Amino acid sequence: MADFLSNYSIQRWLESCPQGYLEDTVYGHRPDDHEPESMLDNDLLRESEIRSTVQLVAGERCALAASSGLINSAPDQASKAFLATQTLDEGRHVEIFTQRLYDLGVKPQDLEATITTYLNPHLAKFAEVLLEKVDKKDFVAGVVGQNIVLEGMAFSVFEMLQATHTETNPKFAHTLSGTIADERRHVGFGENRIGELIRRYPERKADVERMQRDMSKHMLATFHVAFSGSAAANEEAKRQMESGARPKTKAVYQGVDLSAVSTEEMEKVLASTVLGEFKTRLARIGLEYQSPL
Amino acid sequence: MNDPLESQRGGTEKRPRQVFELDETGFNEVPPRYRRFYRRWKGTADSLAPNEVKCPVCKVVIRSRVELRAGDRVYCMPCMSRLEVIEENGELVAKVLY
Amino acid sequence: MSGQDDPHQLDASAFHRTVHSFEFWFEAVEGYLHGREYGVSPATQEVELSERQRESLITILCNYCVGETAALDASSGMIGFAPDRISKIFLSTQVVDEGRHLEVMLHRLGQLGVRDPEAEILQRANRSLLKFKERLLDFVHASDWEAAVLAQNVILECMEYTVFRYHAAHADPVTSEMLSGVVSDERRHMGFGENDLGRRLIVAPHAHERLLKIKRELDPLILDTFSETMGELGIEPASRPDLANEYLGAVARLGFQS
Repeated sequence: MADFLSNYSIQRWLESCPQGYLEDTVYGHRPDDHEPESMLDNDLLRESEIRSTVQLVAGERCALAASSGLINSAPDQASKAFLATQTLDEGRHVEIFTQRLYDLGVKPQDLEATITTYLNPHLAKFAEVLLEKVDKKDFVAGVVGQNIVLEGMAFSVFEMLQATHTETNPKFAHTLSGTIADERRHVGFGENRIGELIRRYPERKADVERMQRDMSKHMLATFHVAFSGSAAANEEAKRQMESGARPKTKAVYQGVDLSAVSTEEMEKVLASTVLGEFKTRLARIGLEYQSPL
Repeated sequence: MNDPLESQRGGTEKRPRQVFELDETGFNEVPPRYRRFYRRWKGTADSLAPNEVKCPVCKVVIRSRVELRAGDRVYCMPCMSRLEVIEENGELVAKVLY
Repeated sequence: MSGQDDPHQLDASAFHRTVHSFEFWFEAVEGYLHGREYGVSPATQEVELSERQRESLITILCNYCVGETAALDASSGMIGFAPDRISKIFLSTQVVDEGRHLEVMLHRLGQLGVRDPEAEILQRANRSLLKFKERLLDFVHASDWEAAVLAQNVILECMEYTVFRYHAAHADPVTSEMLSGVVSDERRHMGFGENDLGRRLIVAPHAHERLLKIKRELDPLILDTFSETMGELGIEPASRPDLANEYLGAVARLGFQS
């Protein structure tokens, strides 16, 4: 236990994160990288990017509130120290995705209004379920909700977004690669720390599984609304590629070329990837996946 | 009525401000591009140059590229304070502006 | 040198956005933590401590751990009710600073031969400091931003800043270097608290009376802790650092008379 937690120390975090993969970056990307003009000049594409970035900001705000709120109820110093690094990771994610909204043309004074306009209501509900557990100082449910469910979802969403942006928007893809590296630690901590606590408190299983089911339900609804809303932008991106306005690129995620499929198919790929991951991770820590359907 | 302090200050304002080339002093508590604007106070044997003022909050020496005068606004980045340079007993000191 | 890099040319809102950001924190701590494992460079050598010195240092570090745990629990709890996003991001940097302080101090306790730091801290913790921690967390649980900032970022941080600086100047080389890195962090925390509260009191002067009461309640707890730490360091009252100059100076700038 002590050996495992030493891998999550602040010292290790300093060496791997600010002194590692984030060195020489500005807001998570190379200083000379910019959002592509072909997207900024197209209202439909730019709005679609703003909409999806708003969901990232909202998700990260929830993660910041949850990870900081869990420190008080953490049962040992090493978990507190890890959650301190996670709190800062989440604070950084809020900052870099907010900065991306500014890079996409949102004015600082319009930030909150933009978030309110574009926030997916199902994502807000997803956050509510988690933050209720955090407010009740329920460490076990809070860590499962935050580090397995929320981070597990974020991990897959970031990977998918990275796949779709690697060739078309290296700036955003680079930003995402840093957040993915952070999420790896978060899900790793969740699994390792909670696995031990679930073994110690088996009576907590039913309640935690119920929370996972509720969060998964809101997550699937979030995906559905998000992908349905991006169909027009997806078609526009395809049209640009066909007309030669932007280079023809492939965006392979889970063996599927996202640049060639419909948004319904994208939604299916993402949902099945995330739920598959949940099932595997939950089984490893001794919980049974509860289907929201 | 003439305020001697006011006329003295006016006189100073007419004289062009001295310009200073800021060098690195080893201060490392802010991002590299801002480091030359600050230095550590070395204790009672230390003294302030005309382009320097001490932060009352964290005791770091704040440095400017030009000679400081009463009324100037400076920032202490190490403790995140906004300050105004004022004259007190014939010396320039920094006062926190909240 | 470009004018863009001159901090004094920033307007007030750009300055606040800059210094409260993760980017600023990131480049700032890089300066004094890079290459220092647990806050200490590999070249810094241990010196032999007498049994009395070792015992005293353990007691002092145990109490520092109480203070740092209080600050960690409080700063993380405050994110949930911070009044704006910039403060939330700043607090997230403070959370990791406090976590790091706790970690380097626990690591130092291990180097001094302490096998069960939790038990040692329980046994050696100063009662006044524990009481202070309890009160601070009461403010946090009540989501009382002004009281929490006063207790944590002004009172506790100011006391720590004074004690750590003094201790760093007189400690063995390893402890000294470790504490110097902590002091560099405390500047930000203390500055944030004083400036935030200062701005708040300008627009809400009625809060002054209530905060003054809280300050009066907490003063004896913090002064008792300070006095005990100085005693452990073997410093006679006449030679102790001027806490009044640091702490009372800060609260006087905020308009609190002692």
